[in-house]
Amino acid sequence: MIRITLLLTFTLFLGAICNAQKYYTRSGVTEFKASKETFEPIEAINKSTTAILNINTGEVVAQVFIASFEFENALMQEHFNENYMESSTYPKAVFKGKIVNFSKDALNKISSFDLVGTLTIRGKEKVVKTKVSVKEHNKKLLITTDFVVKPEDFNIEIPSIVKEKIANTIQINIKYELVKKK
Amino acid sequence: MSLLKKNKFIVISLFITMLGVGMWSTYHYVFGAPTKASEIAPYFTGEAKEFKYLFTEDIKYWNNKVVQIKGNVDEINEYGILLNENIFCQFEKNIDVPENSINQDLVIKGKVVGFDELLMEIKLNQCIIIK
Repeated sequence: MIRITLLLTFTLFLGAICNAQKYYTRSGVTEFKASKETFEPIEAINKSTTAILNINTGEVVAQVFIASFEFENALMQEHFNENYMESSTYPKAVFKGKIVNFSKDALNKISSFDLVGTLTIRGKEKVVKTKVSVKEHNKKLLITTDFVVKPEDFNIEIPSIVKEKIANTIQINIKYELVKKK
Repeated sequence: MSLLKKNKFIVISLFITMLGVGMWSTYHYVFGAPTKASEIAPYFTGEAKEFKYLFTEDIKYWNNKVVQIKGNVDEINEYGILLNENIFCQFEKNIDVPENSINQDLVIKGKVVGFDELLMEIKLNQCIIIK
């Protein structure tokens, strides 16, 4: 009897996993801005972010390769990778979290949800709480959000010589277009 | 023009040229845009199968290296193509790849972004189709 119950539980569990509907992208746009108005813009864009959303649970995971942030200036890109982010040692930034009370069926009524999760950069974790917009368009889920982090949250040291040129807070903007995973 | 005057003229001209080249190089180094993958000579040119083998031998080594690979197209979307089951090549600009390219061989040049553990794929970006 116990064996049958265990087998049934396992089958149901397996069924739940198989039924998990996922939406994903390989080409999500993640950009950051750390500019001060009077100085040259310090901003970069990454168009190669991978993100997966489980629409049954609202769980979301996103991964960005640091070295694929593109700057307009090559020297700035080099400093970003070598001096500040140490992208050869810490090649990825990862966000794992949950869109609270997410329901795909409710998307025609609501589009704004709470997003809670942990952002890991340079091996340091930081809890992120923000609002996220989720809209359905042409069978795609369009996710947009933004939040602010500080360099010191991730032990990023800004040398005093350039401190005046870099903003104290860094604005992160996210725009992902997710399609159903086959 | 005396020999001394001639030499002076050559020296000054050389100095101005060198100064100009130096200033141009410095300006380019400080304010220049990053070099695109299409302008960089590939570290590896060959079959996607072989590249996959070399990549798994030392994943970190390949990060940010430009490669040119020939592989079989498994999937096409508006941002890129999937070669040999798990090499995703993201295009520099969105281009329309003909649907009949599926199951055909294509040669792609692009920059290795890294190994995407979420999708278990090798990721390339700034890709262009060579043929």
